[in-house]
Amino acid sequence: MEFPATLFPSYFGAGPPREEGGPAPFAGWGEHGQVLQGVPGRRQVQPLFVPRRGATGELWEAADAAAVPVLLPSAGRWIPSPAPQDILYHSGLCRKLRPGKSGATLDFARQLGHFFVDHPEDAFGSLGRLLHKNFYLGNAKLKRPARNSTIRMTALVEDIDRLEARRGCPRQHLASRLRWFSHLCRDWLFEVPLGLLADCLHEELAQQWSDLLFDDSLTAGALAWLPSEDGGTPVGRLVHPGGQAMNHLYFQDVVLEELPQARGSPAQFELSGRIRQVAAARVDGQDFVGVRSDYHCGVWRVPGKTGAAPAPLQVIRTDVPASCLTVSPHLPGELSVCTQSGTVYLWSVETGLQQLRHDPQTMFFRDHSPWRWSDFTAHPRVLSCADRTGLQCLDARAPKRCHFDLFKVGEEAGCQQGERVVLPMYLGKAHPSQYLVTTQFSMYVLDERLPLVPVLKWAHMMKAPPLFAHLMPGKPGRSHKVLLGASRTQELLLLQYRVLGVSSGGSQSACQLAGTPQKLHNIAGCLQHLPTQLPHRQHLLQQRLAAPAAGLAATLQEDGPHKSMLIFQLSEAGDVFCQRLTHKAAEPPAPPLRDEEPCASPQPSPAVPSPAAALRYRQWLRALSRACREPPRHTRPPSLSQRRLFTRRDLEGPAGPSSLQRQMRQRLRQTMQEGGRIQRWEPLALQPPPLPQTLEPAEGPDPLSTRLTAAWAGDWEQWWEERTSFSVAQRQRALRERRRRQKRAKGRRSLSASFTSSLTYQSELSELSDMGPSLLSPSHPPVLSQEGSTPAGSPPVRSPPTSPAPDEALLSSQSLRCRGIPKERRKTLRDYLSVWAEGPPEPPEPLGSQASQLCIPSSQSQLSSASQPRRKRPRMGF
Amino acid sequence: SSNEHKLNFKKSKEACLSYIQDALLQKQWKRSAEFLTCYVESLEKDYSREHIGPSEMIWRIGTEILWHHSQSNVKEFSCFMEQMKTLGVKRYLKVCLEHVFRLLCNGHIDEAYQNLSLAESWRFGEQTAIQDKEMKLIQAYRGLLDYCSWSKQKNILLEHGEDGFSDLAVEREMHSYFRKAAVNLKEIIKIPGVWDVFVKCYVDLLEFYGDHNEARQVLNEYAYNSKFPANPNAHVYLYQFLERQGESKKSLISALKILHDIVPSHELMIDFNTMLQKSKKRKKRRLGLEVIFAALDYAGWKENAKAWSCLARQMKQIVISEKHLDWIKQEWNSRKDWWPGFHFSRYLAKRNWQENKSLSYEKALVAGILLGKDCKYFKYVSHQGCKAQLKRFRMLKKFVTRHNPVYLRISG
Repeated sequence: MEFPATLFPSYFGAGPPREEGGPAPFAGWGEHGQVLQGVPGRRQVQPLFVPRRGATGELWEAADAAAVPVLLPSAGRWIPSPAPQDILYHSGLCRKLRPGKSGATLDFARQLGHFFVDHPEDAFGSLGRLLHKNFYLGNAKLKRPARNSTIRMTALVEDIDRLEARRGCPRQHLASRLRWFSHLCRDWLFEVPLGLLADCLHEELAQQWSDLLFDDSLTAGALAWLPSEDGGTPVGRLVHPGGQAMNHLYFQDVVLEELPQARGSPAQFELSGRIRQVAAARVDGQDFVGVRSDYHCGVWRVPGKTGAAPAPLQVIRTDVPASCLTVSPHLPGELSVCTQSGTVYLWSVETGLQQLRHDPQTMFFRDHSPWRWSDFTAHPRVLSCADRTGLQCLDARAPKRCHFDLFKVGEEAGCQQGERVVLPMYLGKAHPSQYLVTTQFSMYVLDERLPLVPVLKWAHMMKAPPLFAHLMPGKPGRSHKVLLGASRTQELLLLQYRVLGVSSGGSQSACQLAGTPQKLHNIAGCLQHLPTQLPHRQHLLQQRLAAPAAGLAATLQEDGPHKSMLIFQLSEAGDVFCQRLTHKAAEPPAPPLRDEEPCASPQPSPAVPSPAAALRYRQWLRALSRACREPPRHTRPPSLSQRRLFTRRDLEGPAGPSSLQRQMRQRLRQTMQEGGRIQRWEPLALQPPPLPQTLEPAEGPDPLSTRLTAAWAGDWEQWWEERTSFSVAQRQRALRERRRRQKRAKGRRSLSASFTSSLTYQSELSELSDMGPSLLSPSHPPVLSQEGSTPAGSPPVRSPPTSPAPDEALLSSQSLRCRGIPKERRKTLRDYLSVWAEGPPEPPEPLGSQASQLCIPSSQSQLSSASQPRRKRPRMGF
Repeated sequence: SSNEHKLNFKKSKEACLSYIQDALLQKQWKRSAEFLTCYVESLEKDYSREHIGPSEMIWRIGTEILWHHSQSNVKEFSCFMEQMKTLGVKRYLKVCLEHVFRLLCNGHIDEAYQNLSLAESWRFGEQTAIQDKEMKLIQAYRGLLDYCSWSKQKNILLEHGEDGFSDLAVEREMHSYFRKAAVNLKEIIKIPGVWDVFVKCYVDLLEFYGDHNEARQVLNEYAYNSKFPANPNAHVYLYQFLERQGESKKSLISALKILHDIVPSHELMIDFNTMLQKSKKRKKRRLGLEVIFAALDYAGWKENAKAWSCLARQMKQIVISEKHLDWIKQEWNSRKDWWPGFHFSRYLAKRNWQENKSLSYEKALVAGILLGKDCKYFKYVSHQGCKAQLKRFRMLKKFVTRHNPVYLRISG
């Protein structure tokens, strides 16, 4: 690309910005900036002048009244991020007392109070229990003997309420009683050291508040559009995050009809963190998609053909949160990564990471923000690095020596005081050496061949800093379109700029802004077109639609003479909305002719959504209300989901009831229908036994009957004693047997195998000493036998498969150890889980040789914890 | 309460502004004009100390509306501008400048000139730094317009001169334009900045009157003064001046060398390369190879057939003579890990073949020399070329196969 033969005139100064800062709400209007003398044509005597801003651009009109949802809302309730009123202290009095900018006061005390109320056990569990008798919560006066050792809390609570009412009053004095109480208990009442807790909470609150003001982790946005390679059908792929924690990555095929329509189910990946950024670039006909979460970055390759599955290539983990991930438009599988510690890496899938720079300080002047950014330039080996103060380019081959300043917040670019870089973006698709830099006040286009001097500058007047930008390159002679998007306010602005001035007789001219900026629909704007809801639903809907934007993508679609633009916007709630702009060819993209003012205002966008859009709104609403329907509360007993503790694979049990269980069930049902009874739980003689031999103690009735009989007779305790001694003896036998076998096998086993087995043995012993005798009591958690080992005597119907009781296999020390749970926590976890398993009395132990097989895990089977049969718990006597 | 809102002037002002902004961003010019007429009231109580006061806002909004409004015309626009000039004293020069720009863009050169002269004579209190800058710009633009008149007169004179007739009055007028233009243009180009237009005009004036030393000094200053930004055009103008002056190859090369150092991807690098290739000195030919390699590093040059043919020609020469293979080797060393993916992938071979056969020929030659005959790019292109029975490609295949050992020496 040739360098413009003449540039627009501008002053060049050095040093810090001189112009006073501040938001300038109208600074972008009514200015040509500069003019440039075009080259006079052959016939023309007078040269034409071209303005830097104010040239006519293309006319794009919104096709619909508001943005339309592209995808149906995903299941699961969206949890909105905290609002200012959750964090800030609100009081009229307080506001008057603290005028000025720093009016925000964090409501620290309320948050701490919430913690004490919500987690009393954690806050003062043990002391609360100890002092329980010494606190009196009633209204009555305390009698003499009790008064010596009891405090009446009601008065204290009244004092606190009174204090709350007077909050913010400059003359507030603590009630002496409260002071006395806090003086007395502050040091010992709390389980967690109060100072430490307060520090952490305050830090977190301050963090939340600064995120609310400006959350830069979302920079560049988490939405990407991958157009399809085969140009025939207008298809593409939308890459977006989803799920309640926004940690699922979706690749959704979308057909671009009148309204974009999802096709098929998306390719889905579950990631281990909230997705902050999705970046994509096309190299050699393949798309490379980079995904950034706080501590992980990953890269996927998506073949250009439609329907080809995305393939994950590599993942890296960072110690410090990553703040940037960009994909190289030049070389396949190259990315650049920045972390908040000020490190910039060039990441190649083939060769790994190369550190280019490490500097915790900002580049041009001191700024507190740890945000860093990096992108590619026209030279595949030169990367740009940015922080809030400016941009530098450095050569990856010699990053220390070869670098130059591309942009500085200073007089060079005519910046204002307090201006900071928000988002830099390489505009390579439009022009190989151009760069976009946005700040909270302006947008700049830079040419890396003329560093520091912006070739274009325009005050964008957006209310929130533009965190997202998207470039749609125009064909030669036509304008390039840039979309700027803000997060909190969901603003979307369409700008056009031209690099080649066709106006001046085909010669090269500098960069100029074309047309006026245009505001586009945002997600929140569609609320008025949705059917009215019940008030509380309407409120929720409004809240959801007004969620901060989290990404921006767009595509140009040319269908013969009809050109249209599709713009996708992602919200933090995971909704993807889209709008179409159509090109009006009425206005020729020619320079303004004399006296002929550019044409009048375009038609306003339609006032009501099209029928198709209205239908889409209704579908979306229906899906939303279905997804957000609250689960019925207080109807089910509290249950603990094991899925939160273990992954699905850990919990993978038998696919369904075993054939034996089925049989039993059938038999039970049949018997119930007949009104008969089952005397023995033996499988029917007709059916072939699925197991080698189900066990049945030869002598006497089954243990349950014995036990019930004993309980009826009143000497149940004696029965228990006998039984434990019996099982202890049985266990002793089993362990001895195992040791013998081990000894025998020693010669044959490899060293590592024997090591494993001895380890197991030790841990079993230590576990026994951990557990103590309490587990032997009759209230011992139920023993759920795994598939295939159901003892004939134990009725499987009693323990339904959906029982909340934890799978015992999970509790064995081997499996806990396998999952990396430290020894000291194993018992806690076991106790914790056992609480949830109430219940059915202990089924009888399997006896005989099978029992010994069950309780001694062979060294081969211990590794696969899922298929491992339960190891028996009570093992006294060892 | 509504009562409070009625009284709160500031609040309703803000609301009004937000309506205007909304209308402007949606290109509803009429609506925004109606709101603006309401906003004008705010001038009565302008105690604001904000960055942009109401008078400036009215000027900006009004201008924008008048640019686009279907019923506006230049006369009305000028009338509005005159009012705006008196409204904000501090912004007088800025408004004048913008008014002039508008007139220039619409081709009202004479009116613009009048406005510039008027603005130049404006005085009000002590000038601020910004006003000083604006005044300099006003003078410079007046100089530019004087230059335009001068060049018009010059053309008339030259046409007449061909007829063997000279008009003294026209000549005198032309000289007076020269003087006026030269004074103003000379002033602005002393101040650090990007003054491409003004420098070009000033140098043209000086050259016409034969003041080559002054012109050279101006161009040198513009190119080499460290207070000025590193503007590639400054070096281009200097180079073009030297070329016009018929300077020696050596000084031309040194001018381009500096341009190469600051912008290796400048389009003049092809000229530079051809100039260096023709040189008899080894060092210069070596520099030529460096220059063309460096240019092809950039994404903008990827499909530049001319550059590839320059590189292919020079490499072919080196391979045939088998001298200086180490030059290629050194250049290749820092590129061998990324050029294959950047230039010589199979995907690019396919695309280049489809879009530009001669480009793919040149690239295949370079790829064949650098990466050997088994390289994907070369294999694909030579195969396609032989299939299409193009003689050129058959020769290419032969050449690369014959010189395959060179590849081993380069990569080794």
